[in-house]
Amino acid sequence: MTTVVMGRRVGLLVCAQCRNTVRASGAVAVRCPRCGAAIHLRKPGSIATTSGLIACAALLYVPANLLPVMYEHTMFYDDSDTIMSGVVSLVHEGSWPLALLVFVASIVVPLLKLLAMAALLVSLMRKSPGNPLQLCKLFRLVEFIGRWSMLDVYAISLLLALVQVRSYAFIHVGLGAIAFCGVVVLTMLAAQSFDERLLWDHQADG
Amino acid sequence: MSSVIVCHACDLVQRRNVAATRVRCARCDAELYRTTSASIDSAIALGWTAALLLLLSNLYPLVVLQLNGATRETTLFGAALSLYLDGYGVIGALVLLTTVLIPAFQVGSLLYVLLPLRHRRRAKRQNELFRTLTRLRPWALPEVFMLGALVAFVKLSALAQVIPGISLFCYGAFMFSLAALTSITPTEQFWHWVEGSRG
Repeated sequence: MTTVVMGRRVGLLVCAQCRNTVRASGAVAVRCPRCGAAIHLRKPGSIATTSGLIACAALLYVPANLLPVMYEHTMFYDDSDTIMSGVVSLVHEGSWPLALLVFVASIVVPLLKLLAMAALLVSLMRKSPGNPLQLCKLFRLVEFIGRWSMLDVYAISLLLALVQVRSYAFIHVGLGAIAFCGVVVLTMLAAQSFDERLLWDHQADG
Repeated sequence: MSSVIVCHACDLVQRRNVAATRVRCARCDAELYRTTSASIDSAIALGWTAALLLLLSNLYPLVVLQLNGATRETTLFGAALSLYLDGYGVIGALVLLTTVLIPAFQVGSLLYVLLPLRHRRRAKRQNELFRTLTRLRPWALPEVFMLGALVAFVKLSALAQVIPGISLFCYGAFMFSLAALTSITPTEQFWHWVEGSRG
Protein backbone atom coordinates (compact mmCIF):
# COMPACT_ATOMS: atom_id res chain seq x y z
CA MET A 1 0.00 0.00 0.00
CA THR A 2 1.26 3.47 -0.82
CA THR A 3 1.95 5.87 2.02
CA VAL A 4 -0.45 8.77 2.43
CA VAL A 5 1.34 12.12 2.38
CA MET A 6 -0.56 15.24 3.41
CA GLY A 7 0.45 18.60 1.98
CA ARG A 8 0.78 20.21 5.40
CA ARG A 9 3.27 17.54 6.54
CA VAL A 10 5.68 18.29 3.73
CA GLY A 11 5.15 22.07 3.57
CA LEU A 12 3.07 22.15 0.41
CA LEU A 13 0.08 24.49 0.17
CA VAL A 14 -2.65 24.73 -2.41
CA CYS A 15 -4.16 28.02 -3.59
CA ALA A 16 -7.91 28.09 -2.86
CA GLN A 17 -8.54 30.29 -5.90
CA CYS A 18 -6.47 28.86 -8.74
CA ARG A 19 -5.51 25.50 -7.13
CA ASN A 20 -1.84 26.01 -7.76
CA THR A 21 0.49 23.95 -5.57
CA VAL A 22 2.90 26.20 -3.68
CA ARG A 23 5.82 25.50 -1.33
CA ALA A 24 5.31 27.10 2.10
CA SER A 25 8.04 29.56 3.02
CA GLY A 26 8.29 29.71 6.81
CA ALA A 27 5.57 31.25 8.94
CA VAL A 28 4.93 34.33 6.81
CA ALA A 29 1.64 34.76 5.00
CA VAL A 30 1.97 33.20 1.57
CA ARG A 31 0.59 34.66 -1.64
CA CYS A 32 0.02 32.53 -4.69
CA PRO A 33 2.74 33.33 -7.25
CA ARG A 34 0.30 32.58 -10.07
CA CYS A 35 -2.88 34.47 -9.14
CA GLY A 36 -1.87 36.57 -6.13
CA ALA A 37 -4.49 35.23 -3.69
CA ALA A 38 -3.59 34.80 -0.03
CA ILE A 39 -2.98 31.12 0.73
CA HIS A 40 -3.88 29.53 4.05
CA LEU A 41 -2.98 26.06 5.26
CA ARG A 42 -6.68 25.73 6.25
CA LYS A 43 -9.45 28.29 5.80
CA PRO A 44 -9.08 30.61 8.83
CA GLY A 45 -11.80 30.20 11.49
CA SER A 46 -13.61 27.65 9.35
CA ILE A 47 -15.35 25.71 12.13
CA ALA A 48 -16.41 28.83 14.08
CA THR A 49 -17.72 30.66 11.00
CA THR A 50 -19.56 27.63 9.65
CA SER A 51 -21.13 26.81 13.04
CA GLY A 52 -22.29 30.41 13.51
CA LEU A 53 -23.87 30.56 10.07
CA ILE A 54 -25.57 27.19 10.50
CA ALA A 55 -26.94 28.20 13.93
CA CYS A 56 -28.46 31.40 12.46
CA ALA A 57 -29.87 29.48 9.51
CA ALA A 58 -31.43 26.88 11.83
CA LEU A 59 -33.13 29.67 13.83
CA LEU A 60 -34.48 31.23 10.64
CA TYR A 61 -35.74 27.88 9.38
CA VAL A 62 -38.59 28.04 11.92
CA PRO A 63 -40.19 31.36 10.81
CA ALA A 64 -39.38 30.49 7.20
CA ASN A 65 -41.75 27.54 7.46
CA LEU A 66 -44.35 28.94 9.87
CA LEU A 67 -44.87 32.48 8.58
CA PRO A 68 -46.72 33.16 5.33
CA VAL A 69 -44.47 33.79 2.35
CA MET A 70 -47.30 35.26 0.29
CA TYR A 71 -50.74 36.88 0.76
CA GLU A 72 -53.28 36.62 -2.05
CA HIS A 73 -56.26 38.96 -2.31
CA THR A 74 -58.88 38.38 -4.99
CA MET A 75 -62.50 39.39 -5.45
CA PHE A 76 -63.58 36.05 -4.06
CA TYR A 77 -61.15 35.29 -1.25
CA ASP A 78 -58.25 36.47 0.88
CA ASP A 79 -55.64 33.84 1.49
CA SER A 80 -52.16 33.45 2.87
CA ASP A 81 -49.66 30.83 1.82
CA THR A 82 -46.82 29.33 3.79
CA ILE A 83 -44.31 27.28 1.84
CA MET A 84 -46.11 24.07 2.81
CA SER A 85 -49.60 25.34 1.93
CA GLY A 86 -48.18 26.46 -1.44
CA VAL A 87 -47.12 22.87 -2.02
CA VAL A 88 -50.58 21.62 -1.01
CA SER A 89 -52.32 24.02 -3.40
CA LEU A 90 -50.08 22.79 -6.23
CA VAL A 91 -51.27 19.26 -5.43
CA HIS A 92 -54.90 20.46 -5.56
CA GLU A 93 -54.26 22.00 -8.96
CA GLY A 94 -53.22 18.53 -10.07
CA SER A 95 -49.59 19.33 -10.79
CA TRP A 96 -48.06 16.93 -8.32
CA PRO A 97 -44.65 16.71 -10.09
CA LEU A 98 -44.21 20.44 -9.49
CA ALA A 99 -45.56 20.10 -5.96
CA LEU A 100 -42.91 17.46 -5.34
CA LEU A 101 -40.25 19.73 -6.86
CA VAL A 102 -41.17 22.67 -4.62
CA PHE A 103 -41.48 20.40 -1.59
CA VAL A 104 -38.01 18.98 -2.14
CA ALA A 105 -36.36 22.29 -3.06
CA SER A 106 -37.94 24.44 -0.35
CA ILE A 107 -38.50 22.13 2.60
CA VAL A 108 -36.40 18.96 2.29
CA VAL A 109 -33.20 20.51 0.86
CA PRO A 110 -32.80 23.29 3.49
CA LEU A 111 -33.50 20.82 6.31
CA LEU A 112 -31.10 18.29 4.82
CA LYS A 113 -28.44 21.00 4.52
CA LEU A 114 -28.84 22.06 8.14
CA LEU A 115 -28.72 18.47 9.44
CA ALA A 116 -25.81 17.47 7.21
CA MET A 117 -23.71 20.52 8.09
CA ALA A 118 -24.48 20.01 11.80
CA ALA A 119 -23.41 16.36 11.50
CA LEU A 120 -20.15 17.39 9.79
CA LEU A 121 -19.39 20.00 12.46
CA VAL A 122 -20.19 17.61 15.32
CA SER A 123 -17.94 14.93 13.86
CA LEU A 124 -15.08 17.47 13.67
CA MET A 125 -15.62 18.71 17.24
CA ARG A 126 -15.81 15.19 18.71
CA LYS A 127 -12.42 14.39 17.18
CA SER A 128 -13.83 11.01 16.24
CA PRO A 129 -13.89 11.70 12.56
CA GLY A 130 -15.89 8.78 11.20
CA ASN A 131 -15.32 7.84 7.60
CA PRO A 132 -13.83 10.92 5.91
CA LEU A 133 -14.75 9.71 2.44
CA GLN A 134 -18.44 9.38 3.34
CA LEU A 135 -18.46 12.73 5.15
CA CYS A 136 -16.85 14.49 2.20
CA LYS A 137 -19.38 12.95 -0.20
CA LEU A 138 -22.14 14.25 2.10
CA PHE A 139 -20.58 17.73 2.04
CA ARG A 140 -20.37 17.75 -1.76
CA LEU A 141 -24.02 16.73 -2.00
CA VAL A 142 -24.97 19.64 0.27
CA GLU A 143 -22.87 22.03 -1.80
CA PHE A 144 -24.46 20.82 -5.02
CA ILE A 145 -28.12 20.89 -4.05
CA GLY A 146 -28.09 24.07 -1.93
CA ARG A 147 -28.65 26.53 -4.76
CA TRP A 148 -31.93 24.91 -5.87
CA SER A 149 -33.72 26.21 -2.78
CA MET A 150 -33.94 29.66 -4.37
CA LEU A 151 -36.58 28.28 -6.75
CA ASP A 152 -39.59 29.32 -4.66
CA VAL A 153 -38.23 32.85 -4.16
CA TYR A 154 -38.08 33.33 -7.94
CA ALA A 155 -41.59 31.94 -8.36
CA ILE A 156 -42.95 34.34 -5.73
CA SER A 157 -41.18 37.34 -7.29
CA LEU A 158 -42.77 36.61 -10.66
CA LEU A 159 -46.22 36.11 -9.13
CA LEU A 160 -45.88 39.38 -7.24
CA ALA A 161 -44.90 41.31 -10.38
CA LEU A 162 -47.69 39.86 -12.51
CA VAL A 163 -50.72 39.56 -10.27
CA GLN A 164 -51.38 43.23 -9.62
CA VAL A 165 -54.73 43.72 -11.31
CA ARG A 166 -56.11 46.56 -9.22
CA SER A 167 -59.17 45.70 -7.12
CA TYR A 168 -59.44 42.32 -8.79
CA ALA A 169 -56.47 40.35 -7.64
CA PHE A 170 -53.22 41.27 -6.01
CA ILE A 171 -50.42 39.67 -4.03
CA HIS A 172 -48.21 40.74 -1.16
CA VAL A 173 -45.03 39.15 0.06
CA GLY A 174 -44.92 37.84 3.64
CA LEU A 175 -42.18 37.89 6.27
CA GLY A 176 -41.66 34.16 5.80
CA ALA A 177 -40.07 34.88 2.44
CA ILE A 178 -37.32 36.99 3.98
CA ALA A 179 -36.59 34.32 6.61
CA PHE A 180 -36.50 31.74 3.82
CA CYS A 181 -34.00 33.81 1.79
CA GLY A 182 -31.93 34.09 4.96
CA VAL A 183 -31.84 30.30 5.33
CA VAL A 184 -30.75 29.81 1.71
CA VAL A 185 -28.06 32.50 1.75
CA LEU A 186 -26.66 31.58 5.19
CA THR A 187 -26.43 27.86 4.38
CA MET A 188 -24.70 28.64 1.07
CA LEU A 189 -22.19 30.87 2.91
CA ALA A 190 -21.72 28.14 5.53
CA ALA A 191 -20.88 25.58 2.84
CA GLN A 192 -18.35 28.01 1.35
CA SER A 193 -16.62 28.68 4.68
CA PHE A 194 -16.34 24.99 5.51
CA ASP A 195 -12.90 23.49 4.89
CA GLU A 196 -13.22 19.90 3.64
CA ARG A 197 -9.58 19.20 4.47
CA LEU A 198 -10.41 19.24 8.20
CA LEU A 199 -12.30 15.97 7.65
CA TRP A 200 -9.06 14.29 6.57
CA ASP A 201 -6.68 15.87 9.10
CA HIS A 202 -7.39 13.41 11.91
CA GLN A 203 -6.60 10.49 9.64
CA ALA A 204 -3.07 11.63 8.99
CA ASP A 205 -2.48 12.23 12.70
CA GLY A 206 -3.76 8.81 13.74
CA MET B 1 5.42 23.56 -12.99
CA SER B 2 6.01 21.24 -10.06
CA SER B 3 5.75 17.49 -10.54
CA VAL B 4 3.46 17.02 -7.54
CA ILE B 5 0.00 18.39 -6.89
CA VAL B 6 -1.87 18.83 -3.61
CA CYS B 7 -5.61 18.14 -3.48
CA HIS B 8 -7.53 21.28 -2.46
CA ALA B 9 -10.24 19.13 -0.85
CA CYS B 10 -8.28 16.51 1.16
CA ASP B 11 -4.67 17.77 1.15
CA LEU B 12 -3.27 14.57 -0.39
CA VAL B 13 0.03 14.98 -2.22
CA GLN B 14 0.07 13.15 -5.54
CA ARG B 15 2.06 12.98 -8.74
CA ARG B 16 0.93 15.31 -11.53
CA ASN B 17 -0.08 13.59 -14.73
CA VAL B 18 0.93 16.17 -17.31
CA ALA B 19 -0.78 14.49 -20.24
CA ALA B 20 -4.26 14.23 -18.68
CA THR B 21 -6.89 16.87 -19.45
CA ARG B 22 -8.98 16.05 -16.42
CA VAL B 23 -7.45 14.92 -13.16
CA ARG B 24 -9.28 13.68 -10.08
CA CYS B 25 -7.89 13.14 -6.60
CA ALA B 26 -6.84 9.52 -6.00
CA ARG B 27 -8.32 9.56 -2.49
CA CYS B 28 -11.38 11.84 -2.38
CA ASP B 29 -12.29 12.05 -6.10
CA ALA B 30 -12.38 15.88 -6.15
CA GLU B 31 -11.58 17.37 -9.55
CA LEU B 32 -8.02 18.68 -9.20
CA TYR B 33 -7.94 20.44 -12.53
CA ARG B 34 -9.34 20.33 -16.02
CA THR B 35 -8.13 21.75 -19.29
CA THR B 36 -10.00 22.00 -22.59
CA SER B 37 -8.99 21.98 -26.20
CA ALA B 38 -11.15 25.07 -26.80
CA SER B 39 -9.43 28.21 -28.06
CA ILE B 40 -9.64 31.69 -26.55
CA ASP B 41 -11.58 32.66 -29.68
CA SER B 42 -14.39 30.19 -29.00
CA ALA B 43 -14.57 31.37 -25.38
CA ILE B 44 -14.82 34.99 -26.59
CA ALA B 45 -17.49 34.08 -29.15
CA LEU B 46 -19.54 32.33 -26.46
CA GLY B 47 -19.01 35.29 -24.16
CA TRP B 48 -20.48 37.74 -26.71
CA THR B 49 -23.37 35.34 -27.34
CA ALA B 50 -24.16 35.16 -23.65
CA ALA B 51 -23.86 38.94 -23.24
CA LEU B 52 -26.23 39.60 -26.14
CA LEU B 53 -28.79 37.04 -24.92
CA LEU B 54 -28.71 38.47 -21.40
CA LEU B 55 -29.21 41.99 -22.76
CA LEU B 56 -32.15 40.89 -24.95
CA SER B 57 -33.75 38.99 -22.09
CA ASN B 58 -33.91 42.22 -20.10
CA LEU B 59 -35.40 44.33 -22.89
CA TYR B 60 -38.57 42.37 -23.57
CA PRO B 61 -41.28 40.95 -21.31
CA LEU B 62 -40.46 37.70 -19.59
CA VAL B 63 -44.05 36.65 -18.97
CA VAL B 64 -47.35 38.15 -20.14
CA LEU B 65 -50.52 37.62 -18.12
CA GLN B 66 -54.03 38.21 -19.48
CA LEU B 67 -56.91 38.46 -17.08
CA ASN B 68 -60.38 39.79 -17.98
CA GLY B 69 -59.03 41.88 -20.83
CA ALA B 70 -56.31 43.42 -18.68
CA THR B 71 -52.71 42.62 -19.58
CA ARG B 72 -49.72 42.56 -17.23
CA GLU B 73 -46.16 41.82 -18.17
CA THR B 74 -42.84 41.84 -16.38
CA THR B 75 -39.09 41.66 -16.86
CA LEU B 76 -36.52 40.48 -14.33
CA PHE B 77 -35.93 44.09 -13.31
CA GLY B 78 -39.70 44.51 -12.98
CA ALA B 79 -39.90 41.52 -10.66
CA ALA B 80 -37.12 42.92 -8.48
CA LEU B 81 -38.74 46.37 -8.52
CA SER B 82 -42.12 45.05 -7.41
CA LEU B 83 -40.43 43.27 -4.49
CA TYR B 84 -38.82 46.59 -3.58
CA LEU B 85 -42.15 48.43 -3.83
CA ASP B 86 -43.77 45.82 -1.61
CA GLY B 87 -41.19 46.61 1.09
CA TYR B 88 -38.90 43.66 0.40
CA GLY B 89 -35.98 45.36 -1.32
CA VAL B 90 -33.54 42.84 0.16
CA ILE B 91 -35.25 39.97 -1.66
CA GLY B 92 -35.45 42.12 -4.80
CA ALA B 93 -31.71 42.75 -4.62
CA LEU B 94 -31.04 39.03 -4.09
CA VAL B 95 -33.18 38.12 -7.12
CA LEU B 96 -31.52 40.75 -9.32
CA LEU B 97 -28.00 39.82 -8.17
CA THR B 98 -28.37 36.07 -8.68
CA THR B 99 -30.21 36.21 -12.01
CA VAL B 100 -28.81 39.31 -13.78
CA LEU B 101 -26.00 41.20 -12.07
CA ILE B 102 -23.65 38.38 -11.04
CA PRO B 103 -24.08 36.47 -14.34
CA ALA B 104 -23.49 39.77 -16.19
CA PHE B 105 -20.36 40.40 -14.15
CA GLN B 106 -19.14 36.87 -14.92
CA VAL B 107 -19.58 37.26 -18.67
CA GLY B 108 -18.32 40.86 -18.73
CA SER B 109 -15.18 40.28 -16.70
CA LEU B 110 -14.34 37.10 -18.61
CA LEU B 111 -14.55 39.03 -21.90
CA TYR B 112 -12.51 41.84 -20.35
CA VAL B 113 -9.63 39.52 -19.43
CA LEU B 114 -9.79 37.26 -22.51
CA LEU B 115 -9.89 39.95 -25.22
CA PRO B 116 -6.39 41.34 -24.42
CA LEU B 117 -5.01 37.80 -23.85
CA ARG B 118 -5.86 36.99 -27.43
CA HIS B 119 -3.28 39.62 -28.47
CA ARG B 120 -0.80 38.42 -25.83
CA ARG B 121 -1.53 41.36 -23.58
CA ARG B 122 -2.86 41.38 -20.04
CA ALA B 123 -5.85 43.35 -18.84
CA LYS B 124 -5.44 45.66 -15.86
CA ARG B 125 -6.33 43.91 -12.59
CA GLN B 126 -6.65 40.63 -14.51
CA ASN B 127 -5.83 38.39 -11.53
CA GLU B 128 -8.18 40.14 -9.09
CA LEU B 129 -11.02 40.00 -11.61
CA PHE B 130 -10.51 36.34 -12.39
CA ARG B 131 -10.39 35.49 -8.68
CA THR B 132 -13.61 37.41 -7.99
CA LEU B 133 -15.23 35.70 -10.95
CA THR B 134 -14.32 32.26 -9.60
CA ARG B 135 -15.52 33.16 -6.14
CA LEU B 136 -18.89 34.46 -7.36
CA ARG B 137 -19.64 31.42 -9.52
CA PRO B 138 -21.88 29.65 -6.94
CA TRP B 139 -24.09 32.77 -6.78
CA ALA B 140 -25.17 32.81 -10.42
CA LEU B 141 -28.44 30.88 -10.54
CA PRO B 142 -30.03 31.18 -13.99
CA GLU B 143 -31.03 27.50 -14.14
CA VAL B 144 -32.77 27.76 -10.77
CA PHE B 145 -34.64 30.82 -12.01
CA MET B 146 -35.90 28.93 -15.08
CA LEU B 147 -37.43 26.25 -12.84
CA GLY B 148 -38.88 28.93 -10.57
CA ALA B 149 -40.49 30.53 -13.62
CA LEU B 150 -42.04 27.17 -14.48
CA VAL B 151 -43.56 26.94 -11.01
CA ALA B 152 -44.95 30.49 -11.32
CA PHE B 153 -46.42 29.54 -14.72
CA VAL B 154 -48.33 26.61 -13.34
CA LYS B 155 -49.63 28.61 -10.38
CA LEU B 156 -50.77 31.45 -12.63
CA SER B 157 -52.38 29.28 -15.26
CA ALA B 158 -54.98 28.34 -12.65
CA LEU B 159 -55.90 32.01 -12.36
CA ALA B 160 -55.42 33.57 -15.79
CA GLN B 161 -53.95 33.10 -19.23
CA VAL B 162 -50.15 33.22 -19.19
CA ILE B 163 -47.96 33.59 -22.25
CA PRO B 164 -44.19 33.11 -22.16
CA GLY B 165 -42.47 36.25 -23.45
CA ILE B 166 -39.56 36.48 -25.89
CA SER B 167 -37.26 37.17 -22.96
CA LEU B 168 -37.97 33.83 -21.37
CA PHE B 169 -36.59 32.09 -24.45
CA CYS B 170 -33.62 34.48 -24.55
CA TYR B 171 -32.94 33.85 -20.88
CA GLY B 172 -33.19 30.09 -21.40
CA ALA B 173 -30.65 30.33 -24.22
CA PHE B 174 -28.49 32.56 -22.00
CA MET B 175 -28.57 29.87 -19.31
CA PHE B 176 -27.13 27.33 -21.76
CA SER B 177 -24.51 29.70 -23.17
CA LEU B 178 -23.31 30.63 -19.67
CA ALA B 179 -23.04 26.94 -18.78
CA ALA B 180 -21.08 26.28 -21.98
CA LEU B 181 -18.83 29.28 -21.32
CA THR B 182 -18.10 28.10 -17.78
CA SER B 183 -17.33 24.60 -19.00
CA ILE B 184 -14.80 25.71 -21.67
CA THR B 185 -12.99 28.17 -19.38
CA PRO B 186 -11.91 26.08 -16.37
CA THR B 187 -9.48 27.85 -14.04
CA GLU B 188 -6.48 25.75 -15.09
CA GLN B 189 -7.19 26.46 -18.77
CA PHE B 190 -7.34 30.20 -18.10
CA TRP B 191 -3.88 30.10 -16.49
CA HIS B 192 -2.55 28.08 -19.42
CA TRP B 193 -3.73 30.87 -21.71
CA VAL B 194 -2.11 33.46 -19.45
CA GLU B 195 1.18 31.54 -19.34
CA GLY B 196 1.02 31.00 -23.10
CA SER B 197 0.68 34.74 -23.65
CA ARG B 198 4.05 35.42 -22.02
CA GLY B 199 6.96 36.39 -24.17
